[in-house]
Amino acid sequence: MTIVFYLSAAVAVIATVLVITRLNAVHALLHLIVSLLAIAVIFFTLGAPFVAALEVIIYAGAIMVLFVFVIMMLNLGPHAAEAERRWLDPAIWVGPGILALILAGEVGYLILRGAAGTTGAAIVGPQTVGVSLFTTYMLGVELASLVLLAGLVGAYHLGRRRGAGEDGEGERTNG
Amino acid sequence: MTHAQLTALLPVILLAGTAVALLLVQAITRSHRVTAGVTLAGLAAALVAVTRALPQGATPVTALLTIDRFALLYTGLLALIGIGLTLLSFLYLAGRTRLTGAYYILFTLALAGGAVLASSAHFAAFFLGLEMISVSLFALAAYRRDDPAGIEAGMKYLVLAGVATAVLLFGAALLYARYGTMAFAALGTAIAPGAGDPLTLAGIALVVAGIGFKLTLAPFHLWAPDVYEGAPAPVTGFIATISKAAVFALLLRLFTQVHLREHPALFAIFATLAIASIFAGNLLGLRQMNLKRVLAYSSVANMGYLLIAFLAGGPAGAIAATFYLTAYLPALLGIFTLLTALSGRERDADAIADYAGLAWRRPVLAAAFTVLLLSLAGIPLTGGFIGKFYVALTGVSAALAGSPAFWALVGALVVGSVIGLYYYLRIVLAFFQRTPAGEEPAAITRRVPDAAAIVLTLSTLAVLWLGVLPGNTLTLISLLVEEWFR
Repeated sequence: MTIVFYLSAAVAVIATVLVITRLNAVHALLHLIVSLLAIAVIFFTLGAPFVAALEVIIYAGAIMVLFVFVIMMLNLGPHAAEAERRWLDPAIWVGPGILALILAGEVGYLILRGAAGTTGAAIVGPQTVGVSLFTTYMLGVELASLVLLAGLVGAYHLGRRRGAGEDGEGERTNG
Repeated sequence: MTHAQLTALLPVILLAGTAVALLLVQAITRSHRVTAGVTLAGLAAALVAVTRALPQGATPVTALLTIDRFALLYTGLLALIGIGLTLLSFLYLAGRTRLTGAYYILFTLALAGGAVLASSAHFAAFFLGLEMISVSLFALAAYRRDDPAGIEAGMKYLVLAGVATAVLLFGAALLYARYGTMAFAALGTAIAPGAGDPLTLAGIALVVAGIGFKLTLAPFHLWAPDVYEGAPAPVTGFIATISKAAVFALLLRLFTQVHLREHPALFAIFATLAIASIFAGNLLGLRQMNLKRVLAYSSVANMGYLLIAFLAGGPAGAIAATFYLTAYLPALLGIFTLLTALSGRERDADAIADYAGLAWRRPVLAAAFTVLLLSLAGIPLTGGFIGKFYVALTGVSAALAGSPAFWALVGALVVGSVIGLYYYLRIVLAFFQRTPAGEEPAAITRRVPDAAAIVLTLSTLAVLWLGVLPGNTLTLISLLVEEWFR
């Protein structure tokens, strides 16, 4: 059982190194997805299937899709089709594919064995997570929302289109 | 949540509520005056809430925060400095950009993050508070989007703060793996004094590295000069005052509960950080021509001095460190007020040459500026001197009490202060340069707005008052801090 952990940890490390070393953003993204999936498997072996599912849904799912969308949109133009054809080159997806296959094999093995929690720790289900989020760590949830608010407002300001007279011609005050 | 808990948490709630209120205000009016007014009102309300919460003792609010007098003292300090910085921000933004709403929202969120840090009793709250500050600050540093230096500063802060937070989280994770808890108090009982297993030491060392980044302790100070220089003057003021005071409050609290600073390995780490910061800050500051960079290096050195009081520990160390910060913050606020008030629209008045001849043309401003600089240098009759004196005192008594390593620390403090004096006086010297009439720098001819004059007067008076009559403040601080050691 420990072997499952080491295998997914190795996959995570390899995939993450590849994220940093790939020059093409889309290639890096593919590896990043694999890395997140590997971490999800680690959560699963640690007895946290709910967190593993969240990791897949939120990180590997929603956020990565958004990420890919943005990159695709930035690439719009006559070269886009050509670029996309190049991205589908087997040489690009074989690497992440093999890594993902290893992870899939691990998950299949774990499911066939029929035990979620494996390293001895108690299994933490959705109910436990929910209860602690809304009692012990209620304040933490609120504070996390403030962090997100700061990120949102900051991104809104830095990312907004430059308007005429935005800088300098502001409301004059001599307080 | 009980009434007592709500009262204790009210300052934080008000600060966060101000940010939300500001969001709503933006839907109605984008007026700069109204936005800044709401911010000021929110900060003032938080300050009142602090005084209302003071009479009740330490109140745990869920597992994450413990709001005791120490936390309230720091929250009050942060709110006071925040009010000054809000006025500066108003002066700075007016006439420079029309997009002012987001600035104040981020500003109050960062301030709320500081209050959370000052009262956190759990690594989760520590992390969230730190992130509230970091996320807001990188956007604030890059707030003037037409200014490449600001964007660069924001980018550097974003990347390096991200790395520092990752290091900190890793440390917390190691501690959790070893002890199964992330609450400071529980860790304090779980970790035996002098526990030396690798997991504990590595965990704490990584946490210290993360904190060291925020406090710009050498060798984690490399980001400071560039970010200080590139960010808008009030934001630099925020980074230099509020974010540091909040993180230092956390450092004090964490290590008062977890008895590990006496451990030889960690003591060596802290002592090295302190000495390295003192020398790096003072030596690297010598040749700087830019006032903001000088202040960055000066803050590196000052954090090194603070670390000596922190290392001495006990009530005396906590009181000395808190007094040092209380004197340090208004001095910096005053300097940033001057910097903001005399800045032109194209660039901040941050070159030392911008102040050439200030003493002949604007004697009062030059006098105030000199007092503030001398306080940073620790010259008698200013708050900075009393602060440094107390730090040295705690260092010497710790050395006499049987840890001779403190002699080295106190020695570094003395030598470092002398070296530092050179660059503070170099700025003062620039005030007395004779410039031919009509050729004086544009900065010294600008009118100081009334709001800036008020902030400047109050902070200069505070620095002088703390230097001449420190008794009341010291009594107050020791009353508020001693709750920990009873």
